[in-house]
Amino acid sequence: MTALLEIKGVMVHFGGLTALKDVNLAVSAGEVLSVIGPNGAGKTTLFNVITGRVRPSLGSVVFRGQAIQREAAFRIARMGIVRTFQKTEVFGALSLVEGVLAGALARGDPDPETRAREALESVGLQEKAHLRADQLPYGDQRLLEIAQALAAMPQVLLLDEPASGMNHQESAHIVRLIGQLRTKGFAIVLVEHNMHVVMTISDRVMVLNYGETIAEGRPAEVRADPRVIEAYLGVQKTDARAG
Amino acid sequence: MPDSKPHPIILGAVLAGLLIIPLVVRDEYYLHLFIVSAIFVVVALGLNLIVGYVGQLSLAHAAFFALGAYVSALLFFNLKWSMWIGMPAAAIVTAAVAFALGWVILRVRGHRFVIITVAFAEIMRLVATNWVDLTRGFMGLPGLQIPALYVPGIGAVDVSSKERFYYVVLAAALLSFYICYRLVRSSVGRAFVLVRENEVLAESLGISAFRTCMIAFVVGAALAGTAGALYGHYIGFVSPDLFNFSYITIMLIMVILGGKGTLIGPALGAVVFTFLPELLREASYYRMVIFASILVIATLFMPRGIIFPLVEHLVPRRWRKGHDRAA
Repeated sequence: MTALLEIKGVMVHFGGLTALKDVNLAVSAGEVLSVIGPNGAGKTTLFNVITGRVRPSLGSVVFRGQAIQREAAFRIARMGIVRTFQKTEVFGALSLVEGVLAGALARGDPDPETRAREALESVGLQEKAHLRADQLPYGDQRLLEIAQALAAMPQVLLLDEPASGMNHQESAHIVRLIGQLRTKGFAIVLVEHNMHVVMTISDRVMVLNYGETIAEGRPAEVRADPRVIEAYLGVQKTDARAG
Repeated sequence: MPDSKPHPIILGAVLAGLLIIPLVVRDEYYLHLFIVSAIFVVVALGLNLIVGYVGQLSLAHAAFFALGAYVSALLFFNLKWSMWIGMPAAAIVTAAVAFALGWVILRVRGHRFVIITVAFAEIMRLVATNWVDLTRGFMGLPGLQIPALYVPGIGAVDVSSKERFYYVVLAAALLSFYICYRLVRSSVGRAFVLVRENEVLAESLGISAFRTCMIAFVVGAALAGTAGALYGHYIGFVSPDLFNFSYITIMLIMVILGGKGTLIGPALGAVVFTFLPELLREASYYRMVIFASILVIATLFMPRGIIFPLVEHLVPRRWRKGHDRAA
């Protein structure tokens, strides 16, 4: 399958700190790639590089065959790469529909309201379209972020910890939603700490540690990788006396 | 989102009321205040685009106002261009200057943006003061006139009397209101509010914050330039005093206490805060103390301003038909 989005040899330095070191990644339409790793591993920096908020010191970001690492953030979004944020970002003082239409508006959609309502419906928030975004409970705000991104009609969707702070029921809803989006042909890059979500929904998993890729493969392969267990998943201690 | 259509009856009554003002207000002084109010409606609507809609505190607006006055005056004295040509020329020049300035300063935000706009206003004041060969410095440019208006089918109409010039400035205020109304209801206007509410998110969804702010900045400056030209010709004198900080202070009061991010708020704010200091003259020495007290109390306790919430309160919702919000 041809990759829709490719990251090739990306390096990012913040002063003396290397945030990303020779990171490579490829994701195709209809695929979910999860990026996991401990806090400070460079996951969000990777999203920032893809979406034009941070320029890489070296390497390239290629979308549909075109290098985009020097493009402005809003242009990258218009091309079809849209993200959500680790810390919830919504248009708090506006109604859901007023905020969600932003992406459609940016793309010059002739009927942004309709596009916004469709996006809200796809995440199950259509009944709350008239409410102010800051009146929503936390879980709904995370869904609203996804609706905002969907209204921009992206081809690549970058989801930064969409299930963070959610209970089991809400996480299950997120998993179903991501599954539906995959079926619709979105290429999805997911950053997530909830291992249940990651292992359930991902086609491939990539593990970052101190800005370096230490493993990549199918979820079961990555879960069994000793380097991943040591750096991130942790070793489950067995009680010798119990045996 | 912002500014839906007002009720036709309200609109008709307001227009009728505005049209009969010179017929019922026979006092020249009060008519003068109405004329100045209308000019400041144009200014406040322009500043509101920048401060109220895209949320950038520009202190360069008074400088654009003064620049418009100087452009029209200089064209009048040096090229014998009448105000009818000088006014659009002033709008174009201020828009061009705002574009050049915006190209540099709209890439920064917060206090850096504010400080650069102050610096720009100060540079403009120094140029007006020290380029004596062009501007006559502190002596200013006296003798500006209001030329006759050529109306097809009627011919030249003298509009220099207060009663007639009122209609000129009223037309300018209404046209400015209409331009702003159409702008804030367009996709560009929606982008204004989105950028103001969350710039990082708006950019991540494909909206260029730079372009959006630039449109507000340039249109706002063009309105200020137009108002400056009208003001200069009406007062008959242009001097570096127009760059004084008191002008931007009163403009911001009109917008913020009127109700920034709405259209009706700053427009009414321009009228109220032109009249209020004058009406307080009865209080003699205490005038400015009372005025300042009103400002302090309103700023502390009425974050949405005074005028717009008052309109919301007094006009029944069904008559407002969606009124302007987005604050």
